[in-house]
Amino acid sequence: MEAAIGRVPGVRSGSLRKLLGSQIIGPLAALVIAIIFFTTQSSVFLTGHNFSLILQQVMVVGTLAIGQTLVILTAGIDLSCSWIMALSSVLMTGLATRAGFDPLVAILAGVLVGMAFGVLNGWLVTAIRLPPFIVTLGVLSITSALVHLYTTETLNNLPPIMTVLGNTFNVGGTDITYGSVVMLLLYAVVWFVLRSTTAGRSVYAVGDNPEAARLAGINVNRVLLGVYATAALFYSIAGLLLVARTQVGDPNAGGAATQDNLAAITAVVLGGTSLFGGRGLILGTLIGALIVGIFRNGLQLMGVESNTQTLVTGMLILLAVAVDTLSHRNR
Amino acid sequence: MSTSVSDGVALLEMRDIGKSFPGVRALEGVHLSVRAGQVHALLGENGAGKSTLIKILSGAYAKDQGQIFFEGRPVEIHSPHDAQMLGISTIYQEFNLANNLTVAENIFLGHLPRRGGIVDWKTARARSQAILDTLGATFSVDAPVSSLSIAGQQLVEIAKSLNRKTRVLIMDEPSALLGDKDLEHLFKVVHSLQAQGIGLIYISHRLKEIFEVADEVTVLKDGRYVATRNVSDVSMDELVKLMIGRDLKDVYPERRVDPGEVLLDVKGLSQPRLVRDVSFQLRAGEIVGFAGIVGSGRTELARAIFGADRHSGTMEISGKPFNPKSPIDAINRGMAFVTEDRKSQGLFLQLSVKINTTISSLKRLCRFGIIQAAKERALVLNLIRNLAIKTPSPEFQVVNMSGGNQQKVVLARWLSLGTRIFILDEPTRGVDVGSKSEIYQIMDRLTHEGAGIIMISSELPEILGMSDRIMVMRQGKLVKELSNSEASEEVIMSFCSYVSA
Repeated sequence: MEAAIGRVPGVRSGSLRKLLGSQIIGPLAALVIAIIFFTTQSSVFLTGHNFSLILQQVMVVGTLAIGQTLVILTAGIDLSCSWIMALSSVLMTGLATRAGFDPLVAILAGVLVGMAFGVLNGWLVTAIRLPPFIVTLGVLSITSALVHLYTTETLNNLPPIMTVLGNTFNVGGTDITYGSVVMLLLYAVVWFVLRSTTAGRSVYAVGDNPEAARLAGINVNRVLLGVYATAALFYSIAGLLLVARTQVGDPNAGGAATQDNLAAITAVVLGGTSLFGGRGLILGTLIGALIVGIFRNGLQLMGVESNTQTLVTGMLILLAVAVDTLSHRNR
Repeated sequence: MSTSVSDGVALLEMRDIGKSFPGVRALEGVHLSVRAGQVHALLGENGAGKSTLIKILSGAYAKDQGQIFFEGRPVEIHSPHDAQMLGISTIYQEFNLANNLTVAENIFLGHLPRRGGIVDWKTARARSQAILDTLGATFSVDAPVSSLSIAGQQLVEIAKSLNRKTRVLIMDEPSALLGDKDLEHLFKVVHSLQAQGIGLIYISHRLKEIFEVADEVTVLKDGRYVATRNVSDVSMDELVKLMIGRDLKDVYPERRVDPGEVLLDVKGLSQPRLVRDVSFQLRAGEIVGFAGIVGSGRTELARAIFGADRHSGTMEISGKPFNPKSPIDAINRGMAFVTEDRKSQGLFLQLSVKINTTISSLKRLCRFGIIQAAKERALVLNLIRNLAIKTPSPEFQVVNMSGGNQQKVVLARWLSLGTRIFILDEPTRGVDVGSKSEIYQIMDRLTHEGAGIIMISSELPEILGMSDRIMVMRQGKLVKELSNSEASEEVIMSFCSYVSA
């Protein structure tokens, strides 16, 4: 493409492109198509109530996907994400119900333990230079075991403050969950950080070319460690949202956790973030998470059974990865 | 060797070729024609459209406009397969070889001869050997490609294309990575291919070799066709003028130097792999050129100084001890390192011009930890103007830029930091004459503003044209210091390759 610089072109982008970045167009188009499709299939799909429900269903996966986006931007992958979430959620509920901790202290403890496993991921990736895939696979195994070692029973009777994010407020006749608002706020914060802070720029730089980043004066290991730890913070917050939504701490969320894991990675890739690192937008991930949520919800409304839904999610992720890989090959 | 432009029917002719990319008109009205047994040089600055043109010919890109004729018949090339069927082969700068396979396996990659469904290794090896013999290659057909030198790998690429009955061979900067001896051999090979009736399209930045190897030359500029000339009828100055629109003697700035205080003092620096006990000083306002053959330890020395690799020995910056543990330490002390391979070590290719230029100076652009967008944009626009970087906007991806412009982006990164010590490793590699001259001007300007520059270069004219002092390295040691006035290509070469050490 040496010739691409021949002359300065005139108009090259519409205002929408300028506002959102051209990488967002594809995912946005997919979202619109999905909405149109399900609207034609179900009369209750396109209602305020249903969309509030979708947001509520998406808030856990959507928050997981924020952390996953950060890791994938550095050309890594985090397979442990939903199990760190599960560990964090049973720990905070267990500490509050069984050990009698103050609920806020219990939440904090759950979040810190979750982050500790993020630090472990980051440390193994940077200090020992193990591939992220293997590291997080090992941590997945460890955290899933710890969940079941900690409790085999569902933890009930939670203090109300732990589930407050599952409550709703009413806007124009539609009930909206506080947790889904929290998720949207987290997206806004991460969007800003990635765009307008040194840390955010470093994430992209390290993901695009770690050696060039090092020679440009970026502490690559610190960035990676920070990314894995921050990602785990988001998984732990997702854990709190999970508790708020289900009103329990459930060690058998395991089956669901595996699906959430896949759903979070699917959301990131559907949102246009490249598995090769350095390219992607957090707003894309939000759109990706909405697509995943809309598919689950829409298929449910159509009466498709849950195994088939999982099948469709699997096909979605393969499609998205194929698009990413092909677009990478053509450069 | 030369034939006149009107002789015979063209083997391959491209007429009025046009190609656009989103937002950029890459080619417009370009002609190129090659006859059997002719070497046709394609000349132009980076960004002139050479790569795009040959990618159209090799089926990697589809043309938007124009026609291609093969032996007078109109043809369409929609894919690399179409090109191959016509007998058009391309050898890119980055070779397309399976490094872990043997020479013979590579030559026959994809169409190994078979007998009864089983690979006929005997035939494959014998035919590979026969082709290699005609190319004057001395390595074994059973050697793994990874064990060969760059020149050897190039011969394997040529052998591969000959094995596919190539009629037109396109060589994209075949000389870029070769030493003088290998270059001589390459010319011999080119002439023997010519004798076999193959038409060659030869792309190069080095004007000198066009006169040694080509019969005809076509010049492109800014995606447009400029002229086609017989090499025997044209002078080097004329070619430069066609390419960039000015004279060659203006390429190097006239250096007027008055060295100031010592910026960098290196004493007994060693590096575990190669560098042994190197001592030298760099003063404000001067350019010190490091000459030597590839593998003489110059890049390793640069990396050690910059804190990128482990080292022993002592250093001082402006009289104060300097012992970098990482590049961050060096950058904080006002040092910059522009690597020889900008794509793998210098640039963030998928990211924008803006992000690439400001990545090392974000601290200065932040208030309360937030990058001030307006300030950043102003800085980037200023640098784009100052260094004459050709880009449609600060948001443009650097992967889509030419080599010269990419190099300016890397340089721009350090200019906003108040850097005083620059280490430039092959600063004009893969950069066209026009941008070269601009980069030299930038270097000259920097030294006038009080910076000192360590310039590593394998191009002797560049060393002689730019350096105030010249250091010659050999086998990891500094073997000679020369002033600019006592240096010449012959003198430098004699120290570079002196063997009896």
